[in-house]
Amino acid sequence: MSRAVAAGLAVVLLIFPWVGTGEYPLALLYSTFMYVALAVAWNVIGGFAGYLSFGHAAFFGLGGYTTGFFLVRAGLSPFLTAPLGAAVAAAFAALAGYPCLRLRGPYFAVVTMILGLAVRAVVLNLPWTGAAEGLWMTLPPWEPIVARRAFYYAMLAVALVTVLAGRAVRLGKIGVGLEAIREDEEAAQSIGVPVVRLKMSALILSAGLTGLAGGIYAYDRSYIHPDFMFDLHLSVLAVLMALLGGRQSWAGPILGAVVVRLVDEALTVRVGTEAARIIFGLGLALVIVLLPDGVLPYLERLRWRAPRPPAAVPAAQARP
Amino acid sequence: MARPPAACGRAGSTGAALTAMLRVSGVSKRFGGLTVLRSVSFQVAEGAIVGLIGPNGSGKTTLFNVITGFHPPDGGDVVFMGRRLVGLAPFEIARTGIARTFQVVRPFAGLTTADNVAAAVLYGRGARHVREARAEARHWLQYVRLEGAADAAVSALTLGEKKRLELARALATGPRLLLLDEVFAGLNPAESAGAVDLVRRVRDDLRITVLLVEHVLRIVMGLCEHVVVLGSGQVIAQGPPVAIQADPQVRHIYLGEGYGAAG
Repeated sequence: MSRAVAAGLAVVLLIFPWVGTGEYPLALLYSTFMYVALAVAWNVIGGFAGYLSFGHAAFFGLGGYTTGFFLVRAGLSPFLTAPLGAAVAAAFAALAGYPCLRLRGPYFAVVTMILGLAVRAVVLNLPWTGAAEGLWMTLPPWEPIVARRAFYYAMLAVALVTVLAGRAVRLGKIGVGLEAIREDEEAAQSIGVPVVRLKMSALILSAGLTGLAGGIYAYDRSYIHPDFMFDLHLSVLAVLMALLGGRQSWAGPILGAVVVRLVDEALTVRVGTEAARIIFGLGLALVIVLLPDGVLPYLERLRWRAPRPPAAVPAAQARP
Repeated sequence: MARPPAACGRAGSTGAALTAMLRVSGVSKRFGGLTVLRSVSFQVAEGAIVGLIGPNGSGKTTLFNVITGFHPPDGGDVVFMGRRLVGLAPFEIARTGIARTFQVVRPFAGLTTADNVAAAVLYGRGARHVREARAEARHWLQYVRLEGAADAAVSALTLGEKKRLELARALATGPRLLLLDEVFAGLNPAESAGAVDLVRRVRDDLRITVLLVEHVLRIVMGLCEHVVVLGSGQVIAQGPPVAIQADPQVRHIYLGEGYGAAG
């Protein structure tokens, strides 16, 4: 994406809440930003490093619950509690990641999924998390439109931070190291890639960013419960959005998240929730079968095909 | 059975220790009940091309994996330029200046040819910027005559090209010692001759010491100044190629009657 387009988009998103926009579009974009943050954050470990986590709801929920806990019990400002939530999620990732990241492929996927469910079970049974009753927070006495604007900007900031972090990782030295890890860990070791340290860093960053989104979301809902803060559906959604958009690039998951959120919304409005789920599930399955690398690489190939002849010249030179 | 190499590995022989870049002393490795290496000792002199030969299953690749840290030894010591390697992680050993290739090629399939090598520049040599690493990667691709395939997907390369890519990747880490695990296997005669020439250039021009595992004895005898023979996890002979060829024990255990036939 060119710099001008990015700047234009930023301006539009910044002034959008002030052009007579109602609550609904703001809420829709708010949730889109959240999906973008979740997909891009997931992709740091799941896409770049190739460790398909199905337990990211754990980090989301921990971020949310940390926020709730400190708001309710300590009266801290949400500006502090959301970063605290990110820190707790990251710390948890540091503890859980070391044993989990020794596993690969389906084993890693299954263990992270179980981990997500285990954290949910623990939170459901701890007295100081509100257990099965959930946790209530008190919002400031804002007008609904004021609240929507505030959370719009908060989640936009989270999405922006996440995208910039994901982009920096992907395009920088760490991105090359994570790609090497994804392709072959032993070969990566053999050229000096600190495999364990890089994987841990990627997971911790991914978890922290996910926890940050969870913190904002929890405050917005002002009531949190393990059923939706540690929802397996959320973990799966993060995976799907990244796979759909394309998990090798930093921008792929953004596209995936926007498409998932907007199509999901359109279908829900048009044909109702149940039918929407079915159509949507089928559509996703089709895309993943037909475009295993995701939509973005496919679009890029389409774009390159027209103006340029295929790169036959270098390939021909390669022959001795 | 006499095991002359055991004496060479001892710290007493200071004259040899001065020039020995890599010292493997008394290394043993077991996998469960199977002993793959028994008290293996030998040295690699700086600037040499040393061949490691032996029948299948004699422990050559395991020895490579012990030296590079992938399989920690059960006993013994590996010292590289005065530094003990046992206990270091493979990536740390790589950064001490030991690079390797794999018996079955293991390029990073999802990366371009250039990025395969750029990764080695970034992590093996501690370069910071991807752009500079990519620029330097082209230099190494040129060195192994793969410059035309820099932007190609790895899957588009032939086996010989993949092997050269692995070599470029290993060289890009800036090694002092290069371990080559059967780089000539599966190459046609022309490719094989090119690879032999390449290994010589690596030693002569880049001054990188080479330890190579190889099955094609004609190549080993022509290329190496020193040969170590493994049999059933033990060093059964070592010395200059001429002596190895004449050694009756080696002829019996390894070469058999069909010596001279290229694998």
